[in-house]
Amino acid sequence: MTFGLVAQTFVNGINIGAMYGLIAVGLSLTFGVMKILNVAHGEFLMVGGYMAFWLFTLFDIDPLLGLPLIGIALFLLGAICYKLLFSGLARFHEETKVKNTLLVSFGLFLIFPQVARWLWTGDERAITPVYSGESFPILGVRCGYVPLAGLLVAVVVILALHLLLTKTYFGKSIRATTENWKSAKLMGINVDRTYLITFALGAALAGLAGVLVGMTQSVAPDMGMQWTLKALIVLVLAGIGSIGGAFFAGLILGVVEAVSANLPYIGPYTVALGLVIFLLILMLRPQGLFGKEG
Amino acid sequence: MSNWKHLSVSGGIIVLLILVPLIFTRTDILTFFFLTLLYITLSQSWNILGGYTGQINLGHAAFFGAGALAARYIWLHFGLPLPLAILGGGLAATIFAMIIGFPAFRLRGIYFVIGTLVLAEILRLVFYTILPRADVMPMRLLGAYSLIPRYYLSLLIALLTVAAVYWISRSRLGLGLMSIREDEDAAEASGVDTQRYKLLAFAISTFLTGLAGGIYAYYSAAFRAGGLFEPVWTFDAVIIVFVGGVGTILGPVIGSVFFVLLKQFLSLYLPGGIHVAVFGVLFIIVVLFLPGGLVELITRFRKRTSGGSIQIDS
Amino acid sequence: MLEVNNIDVYHGDLQALWDVSLKVEEGELVSLIGANGAGKTTAVETISGLHTPASGTVIFNGVRLDKEPTHKVVELGVCLIPEEKGIFPGMSVLENLELGAFTSESRKARGETFEAVYRLFPVLEERKKQVAGTLSGGEQQMLAIGRALMAKPKLLMCDEPSLGLAPLIVKSIFEVIKQINKSGVGILLVEQNVRAALGLAQRAYIIENGRVSGHGDAKSLLDDEKVRDAYLGTG
Repeated sequence: MTFGLVAQTFVNGINIGAMYGLIAVGLSLTFGVMKILNVAHGEFLMVGGYMAFWLFTLFDIDPLLGLPLIGIALFLLGAICYKLLFSGLARFHEETKVKNTLLVSFGLFLIFPQVARWLWTGDERAITPVYSGESFPILGVRCGYVPLAGLLVAVVVILALHLLLTKTYFGKSIRATTENWKSAKLMGINVDRTYLITFALGAALAGLAGVLVGMTQSVAPDMGMQWTLKALIVLVLAGIGSIGGAFFAGLILGVVEAVSANLPYIGPYTVALGLVIFLLILMLRPQGLFGKEG
Repeated sequence: MSNWKHLSVSGGIIVLLILVPLIFTRTDILTFFFLTLLYITLSQSWNILGGYTGQINLGHAAFFGAGALAARYIWLHFGLPLPLAILGGGLAATIFAMIIGFPAFRLRGIYFVIGTLVLAEILRLVFYTILPRADVMPMRLLGAYSLIPRYYLSLLIALLTVAAVYWISRSRLGLGLMSIREDEDAAEASGVDTQRYKLLAFAISTFLTGLAGGIYAYYSAAFRAGGLFEPVWTFDAVIIVFVGGVGTILGPVIGSVFFVLLKQFLSLYLPGGIHVAVFGVLFIIVVLFLPGGLVELITRFRKRTSGGSIQIDS
Repeated sequence: MLEVNNIDVYHGDLQALWDVSLKVEEGELVSLIGANGAGKTTAVETISGLHTPASGTVIFNGVRLDKEPTHKVVELGVCLIPEEKGIFPGMSVLENLELGAFTSESRKARGETFEAVYRLFPVLEERKKQVAGTLSGGEQQMLAIGRALMAKPKLLMCDEPSLGLAPLIVKSIFEVIKQINKSGVGILLVEQNVRAALGLAQRAYIIENGRVSGHGDAKSLLDDEKVRDAYLGTG
């Protein structure tokens, strides 16, 4: 491979990896804080992508400008889902809670793609503002404006989340709830509300990732599961609880995939490769996969 | 219900099912019955591990696919007799299950759930890549294609599966499996060899799934190998079991009939696939409010109408 | 100040407390003693709102607590230091203390409370940047107490503060509890270390199998034959 090709592959990998990071961080939050493994997490990404598509085609709103709107919309959608479906399960015994919330999210995963198919048909859609095809060269590598914007958005969102969790009282209450929910309650933290907001926040993050995916790739009703799986791979690589770790693991997965896609023999199996890595790590650390203690 | 009455009702239903191809000659009706029976096998076999043992296996499709692919190759490409091929499908699924079973059961709870999901997904991706072309039945077979033998085979294996689950639920094995479902650590502490029991349940479950795959290989005129590993094979089974009644014998049977009927009915009025959403809603309702599924609903209803004297034996 | 009237509490189908009543007056130090599993922890957790009693009432300064969620109970000034300390091991000492002052009223006053807590436990100020999980057992107990004080409680409940600590450290922890009580905070102390608890408290309740089997003056309980036989060995 020439330098140009290597560098180009690397750049592409980082661009996709930023989205992996974004989707994984949301899943990490919901799993870390309330032990909900939300297999419908990727569905929020899909909905976010379609909403950006709607804003763009119906109201001519640039997807990047629409980001805050979509963040808010998905936050509300996440909050409604949590309030209606998950909040009642929060009081159950840990093991039952983990299992039943997983099942409920599985039900959501069945519903969302069908509703999307009904609303937006099964066709793949892409969001294409005028600048979408344009790029600029650096050292012989072509950098698209859209992927670059996507990377920037991802970095800004992750930084903002990091500041929220480490600098604000609310963020600290989220972390405290993650570490010991009973103690958190005894501090006067309204744990039910923390759960609600965290779940909604996770959905909003997935929605933002969806906009970026819609701009750089495309959206389709069935895309959710693939993105949930990507998020799971990233989480296994990074462990739960570290926002920065999840983001960097996302970048690494993106680059590994981009490189592997260019290799002979392995190329066609790139997607499966990530999943195999996932399974191997899962086997090696069967209990305490996410976080320090099981 | 007395044992005698129970037996005669089951016998009556079986006789009626045997008569189905003689009564209905329309292809669509026969296909409906065929699919219902296939789903009964698919979901009932999932029920052994998911319902009785409490191990939510989201990789059921991997064993359905392995069985179907093996059976198809043995039957069409190696030219061996059909019964051997279908049996081979079951065995292939079980062998595969035993290979991955040991590491898989090191995973507990949700880790087992996502681990199995990812396993099936890997197979799907790999088979779409290495066998990209559709596997089409040769013309000589297509010309003589008849649903009737396929129907009877499907009936036979569905009956076998239901009988197997009936036997398990009344055996020591079943008792051990249910103790694992209730509390794995406690089961282990009270002397149940949980690893062995889980592997045994896994072996039986996947063998029956593999047989279902074998029937599908015999039924389907053309498929792509990757398609046999599509998660929908798993998800349909899971929904059917939960909506019907998880961990009961009648649940998957009632669930399958309900599922196929509703699917047909909804496809008349709504765009395709929307039945999945409807079942998704039902699924969530069951998980949140009706953990016993339709079977529990029926039991409650019958208790109310008969003052609590009749109990459905499930 | 705190009145618990005839509460019955269940864990699922199992009844853990039968008809339990107790009182803590303003500025009093009351001890709740009894064997392991007698229901002491359930009692204080119920006061904190972690369990809802099936019957009976919990009243604090005229407000009913038994229907309120835990965070409301904390806002009203009732804090519990749970068994096993319940610190946030992955967060810094400073963050743990900050979270102690989570309720809006205590948050406003946290500058002063920080100073007071640091005066009580200078080691916490030295280690404020350290991750709480790396503290020693005694330091963790100090952090747990300091964190509870950050909420400016009117009533502080301590669940087995001596658990797993060396005797010398237990002594100093009890000394601190006495000091906190002298500053006007009511204390409900749950202890298995009956001798020490009775030495510290003004009054005490004995819980046996989920029922209050006796209560009275701490001194007179120390001299009571039955109590001596059951909890104080032959001594």
